[in-house]
Amino acid sequence: MKIIACYSNKGGVGKTATSVNLAYACAQAGMRVLLCDLDPQGASGFYLRVKPSKKLTEARFFEDVKRFTKSIRASDFKNLDVLPANMTYRDFDVFLSRMRNKRSRLKKALKSVGGDYDVIVLDCPPNFSTLSENIFKAADTIVVPVIPSTLSERTFDQLVGFFDEHKLPKKKLRAFFSMVQRRKKLHVETIAAMRKQYRKRFMSTSIPFSADIERMGLYRAPVVTYASRSVAGLAYRELFKELKKGLDSKR
Amino acid sequence: MSDADNDLVVFPGAFDLDVALQADSNLTLQAELHQQKKPFVILDDHDQSLRNSGCLLIESGNRLQLLQPDQVWVSQAGKGYGKFVNELPDGPVRDSLAGFPPLRALTEIGRGIIETGSLAALDELQKTVVRGSFVVLRSDAGQVSLASIQRLRGYDRAFETVKGSLRSMAGPHHGLETVFGALFPNVEQYQAKPTIHFGKLEPASEAATEIIRTFIAVARKNEAGVIADIDTEFLHDYRVSLRRVRSVLSLFKGVFSDQETAELKRIFSDLMSPTGRLRDLDVYLLERESYFKLVPPSLHAGLGKMFDQFETERAREQKKLSRRFRSASYDQSMKELAAQFDDPTRLEFGQNADLGAYKYACSLIWKRYRKVCKLARSIDPETPDEAVHELRIHCKKLRYLMEFFAQLFDAKAFKTIIKPLKRLQDNLGAFNDCSVQQDALLAFAVQQSSSSGQVDANLGLSVGGLIAILNQRQQAERERVVSNFQHFDSPDIRELFRILFQTPGD
Ligand SMILES: Nc1ncnc2c1ncn2[C@@H]1O[C@H](COP(=O)(O)OP(=O)(O)OP(=O)(O)O)[C@@H](O)[C@H]1O
Ligand SMILES: [Mg+2]
Repeated sequence: MKIIACYSNKGGVGKTATSVNLAYACAQAGMRVLLCDLDPQGASGFYLRVKPSKKLTEARFFEDVKRFTKSIRASDFKNLDVLPANMTYRDFDVFLSRMRNKRSRLKKALKSVGGDYDVIVLDCPPNFSTLSENIFKAADTIVVPVIPSTLSERTFDQLVGFFDEHKLPKKKLRAFFSMVQRRKKLHVETIAAMRKQYRKRFMSTSIPFSADIERMGLYRAPVVTYASRSVAGLAYRELFKELKKGLDSKR
Repeated sequence: MSDADNDLVVFPGAFDLDVALQADSNLTLQAELHQQKKPFVILDDHDQSLRNSGCLLIESGNRLQLLQPDQVWVSQAGKGYGKFVNELPDGPVRDSLAGFPPLRALTEIGRGIIETGSLAALDELQKTVVRGSFVVLRSDAGQVSLASIQRLRGYDRAFETVKGSLRSMAGPHHGLETVFGALFPNVEQYQAKPTIHFGKLEPASEAATEIIRTFIAVARKNEAGVIADIDTEFLHDYRVSLRRVRSVLSLFKGVFSDQETAELKRIFSDLMSPTGRLRDLDVYLLERESYFKLVPPSLHAGLGKMFDQFETERAREQKKLSRRFRSASYDQSMKELAAQFDDPTRLEFGQNADLGAYKYACSLIWKRYRKVCKLARSIDPETPDEAVHELRIHCKKLRYLMEFFAQLFDAKAFKTIIKPLKRLQDNLGAFNDCSVQQDALLAFAVQQSSSSGQVDANLGLSVGGLIAILNQRQQAERERVVSNFQHFDSPDIRELFRILFQTPGD
């Protein structure tokens, strides 16, 4: 089982759009996927029409594994389940460590209901500072959308700096350029500069700025399901392939 | 999830898209037709093994759809009519049919027109919360719809709502029998060994007539399958039924008059004899693979030749028998025979005719049991093979008697007895098969030889090799007879026989 976190220390960069489309691509490729919506606003749940589940009181939540497994919802797509937003950060921390432990009761309970997931995709909310370090440790890969602008450059520097400071494996960081507008000179130049500075951190696939992606809110579904041949749809597919290659080669 | 994750609802008539969901639910049900009217056939074997195990197999176009007992559909490409399960293309249907009788082929139970589609229950966000499918089947006799729904993780309440609504719409119709009842009300369930109904005090003559009447009917139900040459079990069942009749005639001594017994024996033996060669050839051909495995590849050429000849001869025999079964004179004589057992005034009975069935059964079974034991206990390594053959016949007669009268006795006790008896019989049967096959191979070699006694070298070698191996096997089977009998001859079983069948007079 692999954990992929979509993370950014900056808001509104495309984390949720990426989580949903990546999770869908994984499921399409035959993997069993659990998409965890960690945003209290229920952002990725919204795109998959899954209502946020009722807030569960912390204490009982992990006492009773069943209550946890029960809050998972099937999406409209094969192999793709959703854990709607309902956890506190502390709950989530426990959740991650139990998912990592093959012998935990949670894992066994999930297995028994056919929830033997190959991939867990985490849609992290903005300002997710409290738990960031734990996420960095738990995840196999941290996908970081970066809008090619001066401000984003600075936040990415901070992220890499954090990894250096805490001696975290930077290899986990797989950034990509998000909402790219080729017509904007600033975008083109920032991309060139950052690729040079962080040669190994950036994936070669970029996600363009696209009206098809904006429309996800309208259709409430992954891009390729309503715009199968769109540039945006293809870009997410490429992103998935590139990520998968990285994950496979690690093993 | 405690309850089943799938539910199948069967209702008479067409699938009505306006399923009224429970009033307080905010779900909408959508049905989408995927496949417009197409012909279908329901496949099963003659015994309706699939139906009896709660399965429904539909062939339509180049597609096989199987409804399994857990109410989940599986489907795959391919056709099944006339095929054995191991001849189906690989796929989930074939996998699910792994336990299907290997000697039985799939044949048509009925046909009609099919439509299929998908079902989805959506919540107010248009999110699918229950998924499903439906099938509408129409025949000349009627129509029936099958809706199956599937629980989606996290949407238990919606599943229960839709399940409840579908079920209340269907009313009290449940399961596959509704499907068969609506579409094919006239298709009878074939039973090779039907329960024969007569009471303990009924005269032996009535029991005998009832048994014979029943098995004439069973035999007749296999004629069409022999004519169409669907699988070898039709002829086998035909012969077994007639053999049961003959054993009544020879075992129920004094129930019919001597003259009547002799006359009936002749009639039934005349019915049997035209089927013997075809059955022998069927048996050889069924053994083809195992024969090839018995001898080294260097001898395969000769075997191939032999089986080619068997195949040719079988085709000839099958044609002959099929012509016989289709003839008006055969039909006439079978009808005549059946009529005779329908009307006992047309039969001449003997001195034991009026004995009560129960008492009569006890004495017949007890005597036969004693014979089996006496003979079996005398068998040691020096005893000639003939005694082992004789033991086989006695065991078979004992088994037939017990089966004829089974309903007069305690079913559990019978089961306890039959288990070790069957094991002994299987052993004796294998012993006999080896011996019969050696004789047949020898006869075949002789038949193939020229007037000067020369045989084709390949053929001679193969046949010789096989006979040697079969002879070894026969000896091995023989060695097991004593221990299998001891198993049957346990104190418990002896006690059961005494309690069930020994009457004070014996
Ligand atoms: N490639 C893109 N092209 C155009 N619009 C995009 C693209 N990616 C995301 N968007 C739009 O930008 C907005 C923010 O995207 P998204 O919610 O995915 O970002 P986020 O990083 O998850 O935000 P937050 O930090 O609030 O969770 C959304 O309205 C989304 O439709
Ligand atoms: Mg978000």
